[in-house]
Amino acid sequence: MIGRRGWVGLGSVAAVLLLWFGLTTATGLVSPGRFPSPADFWLSLNQIASRGYAGGGLAAHAFQSVKLVVMGFLVAIATGVPLGLWMGWDRRAEAAINPIFLIIRPIPPLAWIPLAILWLGLGDGAKIMVIWFAAFVPSVINSFAGVRNIDRPIIEAAQMLGTPRWRMVTEIIAPAAAPMIFTGLRLSLQASWTTLVAAELVGALAGIGFVLNMAQQDIYPGMILVGMVTVGVLGWATTYALGLAERRALAWNVAGRD
Amino acid sequence: MGSIRFDKVDKIFGPASGGVKALDDINLEIADKEFVAIVGPSGCGKTTCLRMVAGFEPPSAGIVSVNGKAVTEPGPDRAVVFQQFALFPWKTVRENIELGLRNKNLPKSERDGLVAGALGLMNLESHAEAFPHQLSGGMQQRVAIARAYVLDPEVLLMDEPFGALDAQTRVVMQEELVRLARVNPRTVLFITHAVEEAVYLADRVAIMTRRPGRIKEVLDIRSVRQAENWDRHERIEDVMDLESFVHLRTQIWKSLREEKGAHGV
Repeated sequence: MIGRRGWVGLGSVAAVLLLWFGLTTATGLVSPGRFPSPADFWLSLNQIASRGYAGGGLAAHAFQSVKLVVMGFLVAIATGVPLGLWMGWDRRAEAAINPIFLIIRPIPPLAWIPLAILWLGLGDGAKIMVIWFAAFVPSVINSFAGVRNIDRPIIEAAQMLGTPRWRMVTEIIAPAAAPMIFTGLRLSLQASWTTLVAAELVGALAGIGFVLNMAQQDIYPGMILVGMVTVGVLGWATTYALGLAERRALAWNVAGRD
Repeated sequence: MGSIRFDKVDKIFGPASGGVKALDDINLEIADKEFVAIVGPSGCGKTTCLRMVAGFEPPSAGIVSVNGKAVTEPGPDRAVVFQQFALFPWKTVRENIELGLRNKNLPKSERDGLVAGALGLMNLESHAEAFPHQLSGGMQQRVAIARAYVLDPEVLLMDEPFGALDAQTRVVMQEELVRLARVNPRTVLFITHAVEEAVYLADRVAIMTRRPGRIKEVLDIRSVRQAENWDRHERIEDVMDLESFVHLRTQIWKSLREEKGAHGV
């Protein structure tokens, strides 16, 4: 069922589409060379979906991009979350690691792209590495903050119950920090997409960023828009999937529910 | 067995020199199965006393010991009931109560029996699979008490356990605790700023001064309770009406008021 807010949202989307049609097609105020009309968009979408473009169909390009995002994102979670938890829990670990982290952190993830390509070439490895770096930072920071923000009595209660070290991490620290960890993962996922598209723009042989790059060289506005919309839809879909995982994992957390 | 002893205990927060002296020369002995309440003005350090027995804070000087052994770290022989419950929100009621038993590596069959017993003791059977946020404050504190009792601890440390509850719930919980103490007596250190609660529950009441906290006097309640046979009354309000109760309560009130008056509050 669509609620009141849903109708308002649909209304504004419809208005934007109408404006698009009005400016490009009905009035011709915006020339098709600058911004594609809905018809151009549809034709471009049809072309890439049925006959392919830039060496592959839309599904193949999309799959390539999603694959890299998911892999880089998972590597970032697997490394960033434990590191953040550890730094949050162990003051000595924080003292040792934080200075390095503070130096590396301001380097924009995109600045790693040249080095990554130099090391690993134009294949998947370089992109996964850059996505990893980009997604790593929010994972670490939020996991760290998540541990530091745990109510002290929760930790003390667990200590009082004689909870051994490893169980303390898995059953107390990690779940207590989980709402913050997921906040970090949302930021990480966002960073993953940003970085991936940039990396594919710079050097790739497939993927949505590559489609965008080729379409730019072909001066093909319709296909550029198809690429952009595809990134938007894929980004939304992966964020939605992450949201589902979060709801599942944090079912106990009323405050975390919208 | 569970006796608690404070021996010339000081506590200074912050740097050793120039820090804030919170506790000054605390000496107190609590015998096995005795229920002692500490009352005092807010900020007097009464909670710090409990936290030192729990092993959450070390004393700056002197020794805090349980059964003659100096306390060095938290442990399940000294179960704590916190004012803010401190339940694990991602665990069900059953899982909250069970964690301490799992930490003791008890087999599942034994754990199930003990958890069922604790649930029954606190009338929580129908809420075993609920999460804490689905329960009222009073229910949550029942879970916390069950979680502490199931460990079969030598001493039970209760830090203003009913302070966060509304007045009606509070009374019910106080009566429950008296019932529990009769069925299953424990050494209890109970921190409160509610004088009536202390007199109703405790065998002895220790009154603390303002910061730096010292133990000003210790009143024997048990002898009065037994002489006047308070336990013949089921309800807290009947006990609170007794002349002997009122007398003790007033005595403590006056003592506490001196504390405030001495500092012009």
